Amino acid sequence: MGNKSILVVGGGISGLTAAIEASEVGHEVFIIEKNPYLGGRVAQMNQYFPKLCPPNCGLEINFRRIKNNPKIHVITLAEVTGVSGQEGDFEVKVKVSPRYVNENCTACGKCVEVCPEERKNTFNYGLDNTRAIYLPHIFAFPMKYVIDAQACSRCNKCAEVCPVNAVDLNMEPKEMTLRVGSIIWATGWNPYDASRIGYYGYGQYQNVINNVMLERLAASNGPTGGKILRPSDGKPVEKVAFVQCAGSRDENHLPYCSGVCCLASLKQATYILERNPEAQVYIYFIDIRALGKFEDFYMKVKDNPNIHLVKGKAGDITEDPATRDLIVVVEDQETQKLMKEKFDLVVLATGMAPTTRESKAPVDLVYDENGFAVGGAPGIYSAGCVSRPMDVASCVEDATAAALKAIQSTVGR
Amino acid sequence: MEPKEPKEISLEMKEYLVSAGAQTLDHCMSCGLCSALCPWRLVSGHTSEVFYIRRMQRLAQLGLEGFDDEEVLFACTTCGMCQRNCPRQVKIIENVRSMRSTTVEAGFVPSSLRSVVGSLHSNGNPWSGPREKRMDWQKGMEVPAFTPDTEYLLFVCCTSCYDPRSQKIARNVVSLLKAAGVSFGVIGVEESCCGETVRKIGDEELFQKLAESNIKLFKEKGVKKIITTSPHCLYTFKHEYPELGGEFEVVHYTQILAELVQEGKLSLTVPQDKKIAYHDPCYLGRHNEIFEAPRNLIKAVPGAELVELSRAREKSLCCAGGGGRLWAEVPRGERFGELRVLDAEERGADTLVTACPYCVIMLEADCLALDKQEKIKIMEISELLSASMGRES
Repeated sequence: MGNKSILVVGGGISGLTAAIEASEVGHEVFIIEKNPYLGGRVAQMNQYFPKLCPPNCGLEINFRRIKNNPKIHVITLAEVTGVSGQEGDFEVKVKVSPRYVNENCTACGKCVEVCPEERKNTFNYGLDNTRAIYLPHIFAFPMKYVIDAQACSRCNKCAEVCPVNAVDLNMEPKEMTLRVGSIIWATGWNPYDASRIGYYGYGQYQNVINNVMLERLAASNGPTGGKILRPSDGKPVEKVAFVQCAGSRDENHLPYCSGVCCLASLKQATYILERNPEAQVYIYFIDIRALGKFEDFYMKVKDNPNIHLVKGKAGDITEDPATRDLIVVVEDQETQKLMKEKFDLVVLATGMAPTTRESKAPVDLVYDENGFAVGGAPGIYSAGCVSRPMDVASCVEDATAAALKAIQSTVGR
Repeated sequence: MEPKEPKEISLEMKEYLVSAGAQTLDHCMSCGLCSALCPWRLVSGHTSEVFYIRRMQRLAQLGLEGFDDEEVLFACTTCGMCQRNCPRQVKIIENVRSMRSTTVEAGFVPSSLRSVVGSLHSNGNPWSGPREKRMDWQKGMEVPAFTPDTEYLLFVCCTSCYDPRSQKIARNVVSLLKAAGVSFGVIGVEESCCGETVRKIGDEELFQKLAESNIKLFKEKGVKKIITTSPHCLYTFKHEYPELGGEFEVVHYTQILAELVQEGKLSLTVPQDKKIAYHDPCYLGRHNEIFEAPRNLIKAVPGAELVELSRAREKSLCCAGGGGRLWAEVPRGERFGELRVLDAEERGADTLVTACPYCVIMLEADCLALDKQEKIKIMEISELLSASMGRES
């Protein structure tokens, strides 16, 4: 009989689900998470389908289940460096980066007041900055501060002001070895790097952003407190363009449809109008793909007179250097005429690229031509968006299925 | 019930287009990126209003009438901006070529192109120049003849053989190659036009004739390597001659000169105090992926400061001279080249340098039309380099 414990790599919605499901039937589970917090991309959403809940709603329940479950071991700031052995008996090498903040931290925030250094806030996709010592976000789990070693100047002011002796700038990286019976790889996805699409000017024009950034702008715990303000001058947006298939269904970029971006843009159009009912929203699309029951959502959004759905893939985007407004060129295929509209903000609906697209995982997985994990050696399973693009509900189902397979691998039949 | 006649015609038309080179026509999903990236969107006027490449291909897919309207059918400059970015990697230029061939092969050629096609038939060049005067550009200078011992054939574009302004390019390229000690020679009056443009116009038969005659000639003379003065000849020799049995090692002169400058075999010493904007020719850049060599050459000129146009490299805006458009009459305000000149001026440049004889013709005419010739000087790279070597071009 094999080792009963299970390794879950990735602490996003898929990894959390798999870990909790497996542990609640009695298995010891290790969650290895690269970030200093759990929750992954879901934590960075404003609202998500199907019920348009804020992320803390679903995540809080999961975090409570983890807190109450001694069989789950969460290791943040950690990455798997190597795997050996076979189904039922894997040896896993893990590298843990220092947090520089220990278990004593009560998240009082006194350290931030004295920290002189800044870093780009990666949780907000670089839309604002934090101090070098920071809380990843206000619902962070674990609720502990962390120091960005690259930004920190080792001035030690935070350590001096900390009332509970939680700061330790001498922490060193650690190596650990875990023995598990099976492995679930749930490292998720990245938004496609839109700067590769030369004609959209992402990374060049400040007011061309991607869809995950808009989630942060709309989130109450985001850089603008939930007001949708454009990055160049903080002006509330009045006219916004959504560019669908920004890099998707494109042989030069991602050849597949991620299946979620149309609904994401339709949803985000409602964010804009909730904040400013006078705003005008244009959605430029090849086809609107709102699958299954989401057809109703599409029809509802479509009926809004301030939301204009235009069939035509947007081409050239240029910036007016004086106002930082953006001019989007598209052939409206219904009228068969050129549309050249000026916008405050352009949102590129970028698709999902698996984290294994750029570099393969240090574990025996099989990939398709786009880098999605489509299988693995016996005892190794992928779950969630590292396998294919999917929405949150599908991730939960997929992760539950992966948990069952992982449990079977520990039984050894 | 009898099938309706138009339907029958449409199926035949579609089959004809596919057989004439539009094999990827059905890959198109009609997303419209091509129409939106098309340089025609950047200008106003009638052609811009009627020419939408997506629509043209959609009509062709369905075999419907409408794409064969002359102003639509011959509007494309084959700049390749759409093709390079097409999400389905449709060979859009091949589709355009095959659509044009439906009318051109039937004997219909737009009036602006009639003399071009006629001259190619009778003289082997599009400029109505007598064949025996093909080598007149070298009058007064020593140009080596190609022999089996010569490393490179220097193939001079018809434009630089006959057009007096463009002849300077040929002469400068010769001086530079000589100064750098390159083993090269020219063949002469037996050469014919490479056929690049006439193929894009849709006259496949004439292209085949020109190409076969050149391939036969090059093989008889023992040619292995070719230097071209024009990116258009480069494209055809490199990408289209091999399937007709003409396998040669082909380079554009800027590539070989950039190497020689780097090796220190060509010394550029006379300072050229200019602020230079570089216009990427479509056929050098997008079609042949040569972006760095011309820039490195400009940077090697002492005193020259290189500035980038707002649309550069892969995003470069066409001069409008490709695909047979060199001979099109286009009203002022509708010419892409004017935008290039204005862009250069906005970037603070005093010189707009390019590396293609077509681009030079277009940009010079547009600069003149804008009355900017005092502010922006149009130069070919070989002219800039010659000046920096202390030679009058």
